[in-house]
Amino acid sequence: MASTDFSLSVADCPLIQVEGWDGTLSQFESSLSASLGAKLPASVGETVRHQSLLAIRIAPRRLWLALDDGTQAPALAIDPDLGCSVCLGEGRVRFSLAGVDVPSVLSTCMAVDWHAPAAAPGRAVQTSFHHVPVLLLRTGETACDLIVPRTFSRSLHDWIEDH
Amino acid sequence: MLRFECPCCGPRDHDEFRYGGDASVRRPAHDDPDPEAWYAYVYVRKNPAGLHREFWQHVTGCRQWLVVERDTRTHVISTVTFARASQA
Amino acid sequence: MNAQNKRMPKGGRVDRSHSIEFSFDGEGLAGYRGDTLASALLANGVTLVGRSFKYHRPRGILSAGPEEPNALVTLGTGGRREPNLPATTLELGAGMAAESQNRWPSLAFDVQSANGLFAPFLSAGFYYKTFMGPTRRSWKVYEHFIRRAAGLGRAGTEPDPDRYEVRHAFADVAIIGAGPAGLSAARAAAAAGARVVLIEQDFLLGGQLLAERSDGAAASWLSRVEAELNSFETVTLMKRTSAFGIYDGNVIGLVEQRNQDCPPYSGQARQTVTMLRARSLVFATGAIERPMVFPNNDLPGVMLASAARIYLNRFAVLPGRKIIVATTNDGAWRTAFDLAVAGAEVTVVDLRTTIPPALVVEATRLGVTVRTATRILNLRGGHSVKRATLKGPDGQFEAACDLVCMSGGWSPTVHLASHLGVKPRYREDIGGFVPGVFPANQFGAGAMMGIYATADTNEDGHRAGIEAASFCGKSAPVPAPSKLDLGETVPALLRDFPCAQGGKAFVDFQMDVTTKDIELAHREGYESIEHLKRYTTLGMGTDQGKTSNFPGLSAMAALRGATIPETGTTTFRPPFTPVAIGALAGRATGHHFKPFRRTPMHDWHLANGAEMLEVGLWMRPWFYRQSGADVSEAYVAEMRNVRRAAGLMDISTLGKIDVQGPDAATFLDRIYANGFAKLQVGRARYGVMLRDDGIVFDDGTTTRLAESRFFMTTSTAKAADVLSRLEFLLDTAWPELRVAVSSVSDEWAAMSIAGPESRAILAAAFPSLDVSNEALPHMGSYEGEWRGRALRILRLSYSGERAYEIYVGATAGEQLWSSLLEAGRPLDLKPYGVEALGALRVEKGHVAGPEIDGRTTLDDLGLGRMVGKRSGFVGDVLRRRPALLAHDRQRLVGLECMEDGKRLRGGSVLFRPDEKATGHGRGRVTSVTFSPERDRYVGLALLAGDLATEGSEVVAVYPMKAETVRARIVSPIFLDPQGERLHG
Repeated sequence: MASTDFSLSVADCPLIQVEGWDGTLSQFESSLSASLGAKLPASVGETVRHQSLLAIRIAPRRLWLALDDGTQAPALAIDPDLGCSVCLGEGRVRFSLAGVDVPSVLSTCMAVDWHAPAAAPGRAVQTSFHHVPVLLLRTGETACDLIVPRTFSRSLHDWIEDH
Repeated sequence: MLRFECPCCGPRDHDEFRYGGDASVRRPAHDDPDPEAWYAYVYVRKNPAGLHREFWQHVTGCRQWLVVERDTRTHVISTVTFARASQA
Repeated sequence: MNAQNKRMPKGGRVDRSHSIEFSFDGEGLAGYRGDTLASALLANGVTLVGRSFKYHRPRGILSAGPEEPNALVTLGTGGRREPNLPATTLELGAGMAAESQNRWPSLAFDVQSANGLFAPFLSAGFYYKTFMGPTRRSWKVYEHFIRRAAGLGRAGTEPDPDRYEVRHAFADVAIIGAGPAGLSAARAAAAAGARVVLIEQDFLLGGQLLAERSDGAAASWLSRVEAELNSFETVTLMKRTSAFGIYDGNVIGLVEQRNQDCPPYSGQARQTVTMLRARSLVFATGAIERPMVFPNNDLPGVMLASAARIYLNRFAVLPGRKIIVATTNDGAWRTAFDLAVAGAEVTVVDLRTTIPPALVVEATRLGVTVRTATRILNLRGGHSVKRATLKGPDGQFEAACDLVCMSGGWSPTVHLASHLGVKPRYREDIGGFVPGVFPANQFGAGAMMGIYATADTNEDGHRAGIEAASFCGKSAPVPAPSKLDLGETVPALLRDFPCAQGGKAFVDFQMDVTTKDIELAHREGYESIEHLKRYTTLGMGTDQGKTSNFPGLSAMAALRGATIPETGTTTFRPPFTPVAIGALAGRATGHHFKPFRRTPMHDWHLANGAEMLEVGLWMRPWFYRQSGADVSEAYVAEMRNVRRAAGLMDISTLGKIDVQGPDAATFLDRIYANGFAKLQVGRARYGVMLRDDGIVFDDGTTTRLAESRFFMTTSTAKAADVLSRLEFLLDTAWPELRVAVSSVSDEWAAMSIAGPESRAILAAAFPSLDVSNEALPHMGSYEGEWRGRALRILRLSYSGERAYEIYVGATAGEQLWSSLLEAGRPLDLKPYGVEALGALRVEKGHVAGPEIDGRTTLDDLGLGRMVGKRSGFVGDVLRRRPALLAHDRQRLVGLECMEDGKRLRGGSVLFRPDEKATGHGRGRVTSVTFSPERDRYVGLALLAGDLATEGSEVVAVYPMKAETVRARIVSPIFLDPQGERLHG
């Protein structure tokens, strides 16, 4: 393997998915926002960090609340007439990639334009890594996280490590 | 490689999507008892050489169902909108 | 052969300080860094480089680019062997060992050159007229020899040890071709602010500028512009990169060769395919020179005029001393002049009567002999050209020569621009096809648009670059184009009408197609250009007719008395040049071919004797080696243990979907054939989903966790399809329903304990839980926690034994699995694999994938009663179609093998005992297993309703193994029909 400026580490990924019903979305979101004490990302692909929680909008009415490893899940009192939530943390793994060679390594994994505004630091991109749905979180100039399904994680990890 | 501009995720390769058939046919109400209506919905299709409105789901993205207008002769995509009316 | 005896002492772009040793057909030779294999061979005086496809005629180097039809070589040995590589595009590398192709025993003495004697029998389409009979099978014998006689290189058969890569890339403006047009476009687009990728197949930028002297105006322009491009961070230069295809959405397929210059180190890919997604595209792909068509125009020592100029000016190789330059246009005169300056004796033979005076003046000044209104009638030579027979206004005459350069005009390289269906159009003024109308995001520049003079291609490229950048919204002011005028006159073209007496006049060199073949095709009615191609194979070689397309259609047009536009051209499709399949695969080979999906207990299975099986993308335990010597022994032992004591099965692969919302119950009532709205909280129910056409789609179990919350399981295979279907209905049909569906398949590790001892084991594993029949009845559920992770227990059975499905957060899966085995050890709890899992459910008569095969209805499967009086669910109306209710439809039965020592096989065709066993039969066997319960093979089958009477006999026929066995029709439930084991 050629020497490169690249590192990959793996961690658990506590995660809660919340979804608001069509028609009462704004009420759901104000309620959720108040509950978390934080603004919510307005459009798909935007993220908002609040202390140890990163809120990510992954679909028009669906958000992921990603917690730093080891933190407690916030108490969310969601009115069932406005929306619902489900835990997804057991089923996801977080890859953290860093180094100047990250864009080059990633270019052999997925079709994401590292230089486009949609992939700028602070943005989230849901895409396909060899037909496996993953979430890319751009965390810095030469750093990003990948949230991958646990059952595929070893296979995808092997692919990246084989760069 | 078709490129679709998902309304919330931006331009993506077609292999992020799953094809869902003709979007111009009207699905009967869930409790519609008329076999003719269901027969027409399930089986009868025009097959235009030209603009075709069809369903695609962004399966490795936002998972929204979309309505895509594609020219069947040239693969030129003219519009992509959410299938769900309120988000269109 | 003297070492590099044709190399000029000075000049060219080769690096004489770096000598490179290589070999050709085992002979050691030397060249320089900057050579191609072709230029190095020519430098060493090698003119014979191959044998033609059909007639095995001696062939030499025709061109200096990817359009090369003749000089195809094989590189590498073993798994690295790569045939059919054009020597003209191979960058010379140290130790390169090239072999010529299609000759035996040697290039110089090829036994099959005798094929030439049989030429009259081997004309176009001969295999449609000869080699037929005496029997229909005779062709198979002839074909074997015909295939061996004709052919190009041989592929390798060993695994390829090299690494290949596939990448994804993006750009604002992608420019294909780094000649003067492409370079100007890149400069302009970059200055306008666009992110530019410039793609060049050669290892040097410059395109046609590399045909100019390496110390002139063109060379300094080239260095300046290259330096300018290198100064932009937003410009990526991709050399050694061929664009092989243009795909919808402006996606370009590129393949990049490893740099021969860099020492090979492990990790760098031999070839890299890049899928480049560009917002706008500029085609600057230039033009390809046309050969002239006359007898024996395929002799070694005959090459395109521009090629000779490139070999001289770029590679400092003078391939001949007595040179004839035959042409129909001005361009080739520049070749004649440069060859004369290099010291050769040159004669220009121009088909035209009137020549621009400036050219004649220059010719006189340089001592070049000029013959106007003259053509070549024939060439003679053995392994290289020696004499030409010419005909001028004064009659016929002979001339000695050792090199013939020919130019029949130029064909714009429109292939890539046509891949998306933009049909090329003919321009009378240039005598060639240019692209049709481009879509808004594509542009063309330079010679491929019919603009040939360098001064003009330069300006044209500049314009295209600005337009392409502007399309991307990048319109920063751009400095004026850097001018370069090489003083070319626009080549006036005379169309060449081949005159072919006294020898074979080749149109397609690679496929050995001559003018006679085209005449034959026309005589036999294969006049359309598409028929011409397929009947004669013109244009079907690895060069895809780059030099033969226009001469071929031109000849057919003349025969038909039609115009060129009327004749048309064939459709251009990817790939433009051949691409190795290894490059397209990249790293996705071997264990990387597809991603693997592993359950949370995967490592435990591997460490504990599991033989693993690929089930779709999943790795699942097939059987455990401690159960038996092979799968047939093991699964029966595992089954017996489940029925006698208890077994533990990893069922994490099941699809699991979280369904929530105020309208969740309503939603489930609509998508399942049986009702769910009234299911009690804490209870599970088996459910079947139909398709809209009334056919069974999938089955599973859904548990009501709360009023508005359900946990749905699906089959492993259909999990993704079911989720998409649910989302489809919510998004498009019933958007008013407030329901959220979400995959939680990866969230839960799932395992099933099945067997008479299951309850005792559960109690031992969860001492604080009440697992009595009252607290946890059949189809009941429990939710709680285990070591801080969520825990869910459902009392469900797939095997017919008392069983519990245990779900725990995936991170705790392996721990809980081990903990259960520990608790169950005293009671003989053992793991079992998918083979036993399938066998157990067959014994219980439980339908699964082989029965739910997309053709069966609820009634076919004996599940019709599930519907009760319900309606309004998906598939309800169309399942009542008379044809789906017909009495003689195939329906589910059980089969018991009646013959000792014999077995049933899945896929067997069923017949009545008194029937002849031919045709489709009356049914099929869907699933089989050895049944310890019945001590014989049993199976599930679908059998025509009128035969499906319990107690009667059928015959199961398995033609693949010529097996026939008698079976009795019985109830499909082979054990415990009252379900006592389940409910206690």
